Amino acid sequence: MKKSALKKLVAVLASAGLMLLALAPTPASANQTIRLYIGADTNVKDLWEKALLPEFYKAYPDYKVEITYDRNGQNDAQTLAKVVASKATRKDPGMDVIDGGMTVQLGGAGLLWRGTPGLLPNLRNVPQVLIKNGKGGIPYRASLVLLAYNSKNVKTPPKTLAEVLAWAKANPGKFTYNAPSGGGSGFAFVQTVLDTNLTKKEVDTLVTLPNKTLQAKWEKGFETLRELNKVTYGQNGTYPVNNAATLDLLSKGLVDMGPVWSDQIASALKAGTMPKDIKTTTISNPSFTGGPAFLGIPNNSPNRNAARVLVNWVLSPAAQNIIVTGVMNGLPVIPVELLDASAAASIGAVDITTLRPGYLNSNATDLRSAWASKVPGK
Amino acid sequence: MSQSIEVTETSDLAAPKAARLSTLGFFMSLPPVLVLLGFIGVPIVLAFAFSLGHTSGPNEIISLIGQEIYEKDSWWGTLDAYRAVFQDSRFGPDLRTTLAVTFIATFLVVVMALGMGIYQRIVGGKLAMVMISLSLVPLFVPVVIAAFAIRTFYDGNGFLKSLLYHFGIDFPTITMTTNAITIGTIWTSLPFAILMVSSGLQSIPDALIETAQDAGASFLRIVRTIMIPLAFVPIVIAITFTAIGIMGSFTVPYFLGANQPTMLGVEIALFFGPYNRPQLSVVMAFVIFIAASLVAVLYVWANVRSAKQSGRI
Repeated sequence: MKKSALKKLVAVLASAGLMLLALAPTPASANQTIRLYIGADTNVKDLWEKALLPEFYKAYPDYKVEITYDRNGQNDAQTLAKVVASKATRKDPGMDVIDGGMTVQLGGAGLLWRGTPGLLPNLRNVPQVLIKNGKGGIPYRASLVLLAYNSKNVKTPPKTLAEVLAWAKANPGKFTYNAPSGGGSGFAFVQTVLDTNLTKKEVDTLVTLPNKTLQAKWEKGFETLRELNKVTYGQNGTYPVNNAATLDLLSKGLVDMGPVWSDQIASALKAGTMPKDIKTTTISNPSFTGGPAFLGIPNNSPNRNAARVLVNWVLSPAAQNIIVTGVMNGLPVIPVELLDASAAASIGAVDITTLRPGYLNSNATDLRSAWASKVPGK
Repeated sequence: MSQSIEVTETSDLAAPKAARLSTLGFFMSLPPVLVLLGFIGVPIVLAFAFSLGHTSGPNEIISLIGQEIYEKDSWWGTLDAYRAVFQDSRFGPDLRTTLAVTFIATFLVVVMALGMGIYQRIVGGKLAMVMISLSLVPLFVPVVIAAFAIRTFYDGNGFLKSLLYHFGIDFPTITMTTNAITIGTIWTSLPFAILMVSSGLQSIPDALIETAQDAGASFLRIVRTIMIPLAFVPIVIAITFTAIGIMGSFTVPYFLGANQPTMLGVEIALFFGPYNRPQLSVVMAFVIFIAASLVAVLYVWANVRSAKQSGRI
């Protein structure tokens, strides 16, 4: 290579480098840019992108929200590691607000900023018990698992878990629930069946603490679930892979009954992808699980002030209205009286503080693994 | 290539140029090697250490978060994680399913690709062209779309079942079975195998086939003694790439298979994510890696054989 050619190459490379620098975002407005990390199903992403943020920008035109999206929180473990590592190495965690299941673990590990009504005024309207359970995670909406059924074929829907099981056995191939590893609705069904053999105190323990010895009491519940292998859809001990697959089977009329997330079925009914014949009901003794979803502000986020502005706004009645009526069809975390009349009417009387919570994450992973080795195909 | 040949034939004046070219060539080939070493080689070494229970250093965070982590009890590590995986009631059936699907699907894919290739080589013509082109369509359909389409087709109220229902046949629903995985993987693997095998057969000189025909050789004999031996390396490449691809597949078994037993690709993802058992998933990954390496040995053997025959080594 001749010298002149070398010079040319250096010049080209240098100008390319300059161009890259010019393309990079200017850091001037960094303290008004909120980096939002979402690790959840697509309806949560839509809630932020299509419903909440356009209104947020109207209220706070100076702020900008950058979304990082991880579908169904599949990379939660790595993201969790990133936040933990950033704390240990005193680096920027790369996110200012986190929406996803891992806020529970981050809160438990003491890595989230604990909201106070002084700095987060709208937190006053949120039930104390939910804030306490969050351990730093800030509850901002809730959803619960409902029993969906095809009203054309099911005239009197079951009222209790025992009746659901009896219905499933009486109608082979017409009931299903998705694998707990693939989504919370199937998980809620499995946990509810297992919980029938545990005392309330034992269930509370599994909700709050890792506990291997109590897990031995699941055995009887798994036996009940194994009995269902012959009568659930497919009748050979196979189950839909995720929440969406259960909804798919319901909408096609392949099954007449199954557990579903309240927000997902409401959205599907509204969008017309679910026939109007599909109705939902709650069951009791025990009820399916449900609970709040939490937002987290990492302790070491360099931009906590802007994060607080966003989170405080999300807890305002205006934003809670959007959560109830918009694409999400979620439940609010503030009293129904504060909402618009139409929004209040659409949710009826669900007390979100009395929802039966799901297991702690480490017990939940054990449940998913145990279910897979003990139930399908056995 | 042509340049380097030129260089060897010209006089001493070209020697510095050759040296420059070889230095340039070395640096040009460096980036992919560095990327492989840095982004794949190092993580593999770390993962292997993790599977043996080395939970400190770069593996510290994942060990803190993961459940059922086995820590080393001697300087080289421990085999406890491997023991746990082999004792897990899911692993045996999963491994059997993975190997069975790989073997059956690869066999059928190669047989079908051979049929297509031989037809094109011997008969040829427009129809063969159209058929080859049609068979390549799956190459341009993303696997996730294909898996979804196959599921819809064979599902409880899918096309196949609905059609046969009109003739009074109650066809079983085959989604969520290992058969569906096999059908799906054949669908997605066939185009590449056809491309590979048919191009291999195309390169056989007409003269050889015509001579054999003139000498009165039967069709089967031409296929057995001329076509397959001469297209041997492309066929082996098709076998190895198909087998390794199927062994590590995720999308098709995830959408079409049963929950249990499933293929190891799905099981590894489940253990890593929903079950939060990263160490056990790494162990399974190494088992699959060993199985794939055995297939790769076939590939290396075939290449060495053909190199020997052509006198390159």
